Amino acid sequence: MRETIVCQKKSRFTSFHKRLGLIFLFLLLLAVSLMLGVDQRVSLHNLLSADPSAWQIFLASRVPRTIAIVLTASGLSVSGLIMQSLSSNKFMSPSTSGTTDAAMLGVLLSFLLLGDQSHLIQMLFAFVFALASTMLFMGILGRIPLREAVYVPLIGMMYGGIIKALSNAVAYRTNALQTLSKIGLGTFNRFTSFAMLYLVLIPLVLAVLYATRFSIAGMGEDFSKGLGLHYKRTVFLGLCVIAVISAATFVTVGPISFVGLIIPNMVTAFYGDDVKKTIFDVMLLGTIFVLLCDIFSRLIIYPYEIAVSFTIGIIGGAIFLVILFRRVRYGK
Amino acid sequence: MIEIREVSQAYGVQDVLRQVSVSIKEKRITALVGANGAGKTTLLNVAANLIPAKSGQVFLDGKNISQMENIEIAKKIAVLKQTQHLSMRITVEELVAFGRYPHSKGRLKAWDQEKISQAIAYMDLQKIQDKFIDELSGGQRQRAYIAMILAQDTPYIFLDEPLNNLDIKYSVEMMTILQKLVRELDKTVIIVLHDINFAAAFADEIVAMRDGRIIRQGEAPSIINPDILREVFDHDFHIVRVGTRKVCVYFQPQDMIPQADPG
Repeated sequence: MRETIVCQKKSRFTSFHKRLGLIFLFLLLLAVSLMLGVDQRVSLHNLLSADPSAWQIFLASRVPRTIAIVLTASGLSVSGLIMQSLSSNKFMSPSTSGTTDAAMLGVLLSFLLLGDQSHLIQMLFAFVFALASTMLFMGILGRIPLREAVYVPLIGMMYGGIIKALSNAVAYRTNALQTLSKIGLGTFNRFTSFAMLYLVLIPLVLAVLYATRFSIAGMGEDFSKGLGLHYKRTVFLGLCVIAVISAATFVTVGPISFVGLIIPNMVTAFYGDDVKKTIFDVMLLGTIFVLLCDIFSRLIIYPYEIAVSFTIGIIGGAIFLVILFRRVRYGK
Repeated sequence: MIEIREVSQAYGVQDVLRQVSVSIKEKRITALVGANGAGKTTLLNVAANLIPAKSGQVFLDGKNISQMENIEIAKKIAVLKQTQHLSMRITVEELVAFGRYPHSKGRLKAWDQEKISQAIAYMDLQKIQDKFIDELSGGQRQRAYIAMILAQDTPYIFLDEPLNNLDIKYSVEMMTILQKLVRELDKTVIIVLHDINFAAAFADEIVAMRDGRIIRQGEAPSIINPDILREVFDHDFHIVRVGTRKVCVYFQPQDMIPQADPG
């Protein structure tokens, strides 16, 4: 009895330390990300001595980029978390269920139908396509009985592949392949405004407020109904949250794969599947991961930089393989 | 008081419930028994408004249940279905906290925390409250679900075959807990049971169903009768008395009933 109490206290102690360590790492990377850049005028010394040109670059270029990373990373991680909870499948995420590909198709169509439009119009298109496609995919999954959860990302990637192929076909027919490849690159360095990204804040706040509801919905329809939760309404709201985040991040940053898949997996392996308990750690770890990848992308061919989606694709892919092997070997 | 009036339900062309009327007595354990496909689970689902009735009404404390908000129903009726939710890795404490959802809508106040720890203590789960439910034994997990239902703090508790996949020891423990809930906490328990002997031993009332109809209902001892049970299950029963208890023997009963012996 005494032993178990001591044991529990010890485990709480270390999990508290883990969280503290994450926050420290986050702040450190945040500082590195803010100070990193080609322009040598932005230095701690110049900022402290209130050099106007240093501050101008700092506020106009460094801060928005870092905020964009934080919003994109936490948004994508949270949308993966919610998707995994609602479908009770650890392999669901916006990039393994065709959501990102549908957003891309949406943006392409908005280009073709309406010309070069504002980000808001693009985002609306991306949102509608992402939502419809995710609902369709969840509907398809509900109809096929799957023996192994591992098949879900496979089906999802095939499904995404079909949508991508459709985008390519449309782009080919309309001579818009170049536009498509421009849309299809994920980077934080686009010399465009990140204003649309602030929209991510709305679904993020909703996700935190509805965290318990998403957990309960993950327990199943009957379970939810027994507790008086509107199951369908909750699932729909969850899908809207996912679609807004996917659309806003896609339109401003581009496709960022793996974040929504691996981050929730890494956090829930430690803390379990209660969304309320994990949502902040998921945001934190997601941000740390993307900050790291972004810093790496900016340093490797300094003073130039590579697209962050390459770095994330390579590192994230490796982590995903590790998770996949662990799950296949040690059960679900 | 739950009153079910002339409720019918069908899946496609298949009638599952035909004009079922029954009222559930308070502070008792009512067992729904019958063969597979008799409509027990459907009746339970309709009574809890998990599925709407095709025709007929269900009254919960005088109010028509189909006109009540889900959340209001969830404050009165707690439902435990036979599905095991092992796809979600949550701790016992988090599971029990889900039971407060109808009251707290996800934002737990001090009062909700109080109820959660009370429920955990009542089911003797303190030592394992931080464990994940997929790490527990079948009996512990079932107790965790009961704790969740206690935290939901409802006068009515509906259980759909809670003894499935439970060892004999845990099945008896489960039924004993339910009896305790009725006696100590004034709960009204409605339970779908597969094994007639568990109904005979633990239920106060039995509702016997066949082909979507209620064939008999009444005090448990009055239903445990070879003729009634034969009608319900389409199978021969032999009833023996062990002390004051009635026990049904349904395996090779012809060996025990001389007149049914063909030789």
